Amino acid sequence: MPRVVALYNIKGGVGKTSAAVNLAWLAAESGARTLLWDLDPQGAASYVLRIKPKVKGGARKLVAGRSDPAAALKGTDHELLDLLPADFSYRNMDLELGEVKRPTKGLARVLAPIAPDYEYVFLDCPPAISLASESIFVAADVLLVPLIPSPLSLRTFDQLRAFVADEVPKPPAILAFFSMADGRKRLHREVIEQTTAAHGGVLKASIPAASDVERMALHRRVLAQTAPRSRAALAYEALWEELRRRS
Amino acid sequence: MLSSGVANGKDLIGPPLPSGQRVLVVLLFSPTEAPALPLTGRYPSTDRFTRGCWETVRVSAQRLQLLLAEGMTAAAAADALVAELPIVSQRSTTIERTFWDTFDGRVRGAGLALVGTGGRLALADATSLEECAGEIDDRAASQLLATDLPAGALRDALAPIVEMRAVMPVVRVKSRALPLDVLDELGKIVVRLRVEEPTAVAVDGTDAAVAVRARLHVIGVLGYDRELAGLLKLLERRLAHGVPAAPVQDDAVRAVGGKPGGASSKLKLTLDAQERADSAAVKILRRLAKVIQLNLPGTLEDVDSEFLHDLRVAVRRTRALQRELRGVFAPEPLRAFRDGFRELQRVTGPTRDLDVQLLEFDDLVAGLPDDADRDVEPLRRLLQDHLHVERRKMVRALRAKPARALLDNWSAFLDLLEASDESLRPDAARPVGDIAGARIAKVHGRMVKMGTAIDDDTPAEALHELRKQGKELRYLLEFFQSLYPAAVVKPMVASLKGLQDVLGCFQDREVQAALLRSLGDEVATLDGGAAALIAMGLLVARLGEEQELARTQFAESFAAFAAKSQRRLVEQTFGCRG
Repeated sequence: MPRVVALYNIKGGVGKTSAAVNLAWLAAESGARTLLWDLDPQGAASYVLRIKPKVKGGARKLVAGRSDPAAALKGTDHELLDLLPADFSYRNMDLELGEVKRPTKGLARVLAPIAPDYEYVFLDCPPAISLASESIFVAADVLLVPLIPSPLSLRTFDQLRAFVADEVPKPPAILAFFSMADGRKRLHREVIEQTTAAHGGVLKASIPAASDVERMALHRRVLAQTAPRSRAALAYEALWEELRRRS
Repeated sequence: MLSSGVANGKDLIGPPLPSGQRVLVVLLFSPTEAPALPLTGRYPSTDRFTRGCWETVRVSAQRLQLLLAEGMTAAAAADALVAELPIVSQRSTTIERTFWDTFDGRVRGAGLALVGTGGRLALADATSLEECAGEIDDRAASQLLATDLPAGALRDALAPIVEMRAVMPVVRVKSRALPLDVLDELGKIVVRLRVEEPTAVAVDGTDAAVAVRARLHVIGVLGYDRELAGLLKLLERRLAHGVPAAPVQDDAVRAVGGKPGGASSKLKLTLDAQERADSAAVKILRRLAKVIQLNLPGTLEDVDSEFLHDLRVAVRRTRALQRELRGVFAPEPLRAFRDGFRELQRVTGPTRDLDVQLLEFDDLVAGLPDDADRDVEPLRRLLQDHLHVERRKMVRALRAKPARALLDNWSAFLDLLEASDESLRPDAARPVGDIAGARIAKVHGRMVKMGTAIDDDTPAEALHELRKQGKELRYLLEFFQSLYPAAVVKPMVASLKGLQDVLGCFQDREVQAALLRSLGDEVATLDGGAAALIAMGLLVARLGEEQELARTQFAESFAAFAAKSQRRLVEQTFGCRG
């Protein structure tokens, strides 16, 4: 069975999608057959990969087991990376999960028939803490949490760990990394330095706040395609290597 | 013909895929000739709904190969496509693959290819070249037995296919691949094309290189079937010249003058019942002479034990036909040739016996109690030493003038036989069907008579003699099977085989036990000889038990062979009372 890695944070705009598409691409580049599920109704990951955010039957049929997730899969520009695209109906994911038995296992059930084809599955999660989030916690082997280097982010991360430990029967491993890190800001430097030293769950690789990352949405290509030797691209490579070792 | 199959692993044409992945490969493939297009239409569906849940099997990529016009280059194909489609061409790559197979093409026969490329040896699907098992290969070997490979997936997959046969390079194919990506309106890849320009390079030391017709690989992208169908329609109109009848390595083998699928030692002859007996005899004997010649180099070079085996079978069949159709030959030259082939059989016998002993050694010692299987190792080494000595004697004899002259003279003799004086060849002009039927019925009848006379007290020699007659009948049926309905010959061969297996086991165990006994004195003088002798005692006892068991099975297998219905069938088909 594959390793299921969920890019998750309760907050939006912290670099989940950028990390999801770049890490999934790097996984494929390493020779592993990889699936990315764009769970965010905004469909940013699908957009970057130039794939229409459309799943026939939407969230309702998918969650109810009345449509085939394999039929919705799209191959990307990397031969080993497939995408289960976003759909605007994912905004109702909580409602649809509420309609089925054992809703927290709902997303794992969708993945079950297609996952064995892959070595890695990445979930690009919407920002929220909800029934859908709990279903993500159940489906994932690893929760990978992008953190803005600030004291409040760390507090939220600790809260998430406590919640998952208390509420999820078989909790996934929880790892975090710093995202959108600005080396010019003293606070960022201090938080990163102190936290990575003291916190075992925080990975050493951090992703810089870089215009190359923002330009991904403009070019609709991942960093490995547009700026493979850039600082940000190298940071994602380091993150991927660390994640692979740790998970 | 539209066919599909599941393969694993790494695509040897395109970028590497990880081993162990599962993909359903869809291929358009005709085993005989390139069928007319269309290439479009309905493709195998991914939608399989079973008991309310979706199966995990899915199509990950649809792959087709198309032939380009004779002489068309990759650049010309790319230009033609770029003019019609939004295409991005990538940098071309060159891949050099060496295809390996056994002399008789067992790998290809199993629908597979053994491919060496970039320091990796892999077993792959013959057409898609998708890997199912592979390993790093840094050997510079020119031939390999499955046992030469380290334990692992490749050896496990290859061993049951090639058995005791060695694999050798068959052809090298140097392919220039030009990747062309077809884009949609968003600039996303929706179909991948690879133009392959193969060049076949001979592995006979000449390194002769011959261009092979270019192919276009069409690789669908998951979820973009409509785009693929549209593209195929365009290719059908503009570029494609049918689907390849065979994988690229077959074209390459042909291009350098080889025969795809390897050399066969089978007879595979079609005779006419009315044709002259001497003409039919020449057809069969020429084929057998060819088999002997084919297997001689591999026998001399000791590529694998099967060369000698096939050579000996062809010699034995030759001798059987010389006996059974003796009336088509003049007595005097026949006598000389019979002596010559008997000698050929004799000089190759000890080597084959030792080959068999060593091939069966592991099975023979398996299940010996405690450490006896280890104790018996000095015996294996002794058998290997003896084999080495006997092989040298055999090679010397086969290279010597009499053996070479025998084969040359025999071929020349066959060339002239039909035109030679018929006064001393009473059966020469008789219809072969008459003689064949009479001989089969005669030998069958003789076997029934001999077998019926065998009871528990009959000496072993009678069973050995019956086995000899069984071999004779088997060869007669093989020579002349095309003259008779398969519905008669096949069950007859099956019941004969059942009987021969029992008789073979009975005799072989006796021969094996005798050989072990004969080696006792020698084994005793070796390091660990005492323990080996004890273990050999156990082996001899076991061989004796197996021989006894075979004897108890004789009555049943003979009853099946000599059943009344079978005898009636022989009488009806071959014209005489069996």
